[in-house]
Amino acid sequence: MTDKCFDIGTMQAFLDGELAAEMTETVARHVAACDECACLLAESEEESALTFSALEMELNALVPTQRLWTKINDSIAREKKSFWKPILAFLLQPQTAAFASLIFVAVLSVTLLSLKPNAPTNYVAQTGEIQQKTIQPIAKNQLSPPAQTPLLLPEEKNTETIKSVQNKAEYRAAKTAYVRPEKVLTDAKSRDTKSDALVPAVRENSGNILGEESYIKTIATLNTTVANRKDEILSPSARFAFERDLAVTDDAIARMKLEVRRNPKNEAAKQILRASYQNKIDLLNSVADKTELMASLD
Amino acid sequence: MKSEKAKVKTAFKNTITRRFSLLILAVCLVAPFSVAFSQTVKVEPKVVVAPLKQKTKIERKSVRRSIGTETSAEKSIAVDAKVNVSLCVREGILKINGWERNEIRAFVVGGSEVGFKVQQKNKQNDKAVWVMVTGSDPAKNKTVNSEECLSGEEIELDVPRGAAVNVKSRTSETTIQAVRRAVVKNIGGDISLNNIEQGINAATYQGDVTVENSGGAITLESANGNIVAFDIAPSEIGDIFKAKTNSGAISLQRIEHRQAEINSNSGSIKFAGEFQNGGQYNFGTQVGTISLAIPEKSSCKINALYGYGKFNSELKLAIITEDESSKAQRLVATIGGGDANVNLTTYSGAILIRKQ
Ligand SMILES: [Zn+2]
Repeated sequence: MTDKCFDIGTMQAFLDGELAAEMTETVARHVAACDECACLLAESEEESALTFSALEMELNALVPTQRLWTKINDSIAREKKSFWKPILAFLLQPQTAAFASLIFVAVLSVTLLSLKPNAPTNYVAQTGEIQQKTIQPIAKNQLSPPAQTPLLLPEEKNTETIKSVQNKAEYRAAKTAYVRPEKVLTDAKSRDTKSDALVPAVRENSGNILGEESYIKTIATLNTTVANRKDEILSPSARFAFERDLAVTDDAIARMKLEVRRNPKNEAAKQILRASYQNKIDLLNSVADKTELMASLD
Repeated sequence: MKSEKAKVKTAFKNTITRRFSLLILAVCLVAPFSVAFSQTVKVEPKVVVAPLKQKTKIERKSVRRSIGTETSAEKSIAVDAKVNVSLCVREGILKINGWERNEIRAFVVGGSEVGFKVQQKNKQNDKAVWVMVTGSDPAKNKTVNSEECLSGEEIELDVPRGAAVNVKSRTSETTIQAVRRAVVKNIGGDISLNNIEQGINAATYQGDVTVENSGGAITLESANGNIVAFDIAPSEIGDIFKAKTNSGAISLQRIEHRQAEINSNSGSIKFAGEFQNGGQYNFGTQVGTISLAIPEKSSCKINALYGYGKFNSELKLAIITEDESSKAQRLVATIGGGDANVNLTTYSGAILIRKQ
């Protein structure tokens, strides 16, 4: 936090990807610790006349590659390994695989900028939609469909990690909104049936790690809490660091999932995947915990 | 293929940074509103919801300006040697110091009043075993909420050396020394702990945590700040040392705990010292570097998982398994007799083992 701030020229160069790798790192590190520079970065973004339509165009420009991604994933599922080997090599390049995080960030920003009070529902819907469109095979097996993910919120031992949330009423409201589509299934029995129906589908897939479901559920629940509160909870620089760490972690999860699916016997990949899930939970939890602490001091 | 890759790379780079900065811009725009909003709702003008740096500075100044006319508040109370002391701090520099007397003395400069609320007494000697230090004096104004937080330019507490202190604060630089146990949670502000004998739990969401010369079960957390700890020992068998940060760096020296869990997401981890025989150590990062500086005669089993990262050791390894081909690289090896278990996990960071 003590190193000196950057001028607008450097910020522009940073945005345009014109800085050397080391400098890029330095700027990113500084921005993550300095509110003034975080805001300056956002402003210089404005000045470079980047509007939402431009953003839209960028996203569209990426579509062919996303299609390629989907196609490749489908093919892996069909186990045509030899033919796809060169493409796999390409796929596992950092820049390609980083799409997972890119998509995640895109979804986040859309959600954030919409800033609607019923954001959690939107968030889930959008995440589901986009992920299914782009990284479909993974989304299909690893993530439950949008409406079902939130349905199985409590009961799992990993949900212990979800700290009680400050604004209980709001949290509950969010939870209710989450479960609403399936409200019919109120009694425990029909709920059990519902989760049982899900389990075999997941177990069939040998590419899943033990306890993955509960990681995903925990993350889904925390996501709601955090998505609701992070604007007021995090300062611009903290926000920058948070989003960056989250994007990196999501990238890791996506790539390790892919590896585990490709090679279910790769214990190392499974452990790194598990560690990455845990890191993501820790990351989200730090925001949830902060929320709780702030509430207790009101 | 090549041009496609290049295009993708630039597009990714641009998009991801732009996405970030757009988010941040939104935060910059929204933050003042949310502050204003919460203020109108709560009618508590001193409370800053979004701890923006600028805002804090302004507040500090206004406190300073009035310091000349403001009186300081001081109070003391006789307590049990092993008293529990709880307090919350709205803002200010907090210093808690252990002394040899069985008495709590509280001193606030340029801020709130100060009062004690005895929550529980020792039935034998009638001395307080649990005391809340509050920002208002319950003896003076009975109607005021007696659990109000302290605030001021400087808040100083002297407590018995055997005291366990429990602090919550909004924005405060916190220093605690020479007490039995400390629990500190700060929304913002550095935490510095020294000479705490039997356990620490310290968390700050924007600031650094520094601990030296302390013992017991230890948990240190920071969201964006660094964690530094040195000369730390367990006080009982089974005491665990934990340190966790999202984007900060962790630097540890001479940690004598046999069990340690050290995690950072994007920050680096540095560990310098010896591994205890039979100890269990887990180090993990997402992208940060993990570096160990250990004696040449160390005896440990290294289980390193380093995804897309790299591994490098200056010390001689007896390799048991090594897999560098897959997308999740792994190395299992022993150094010396292999007594301590050391797990190192990173997704794309580097793992470096050096001679101390
Ligand atoms: Zn700066």
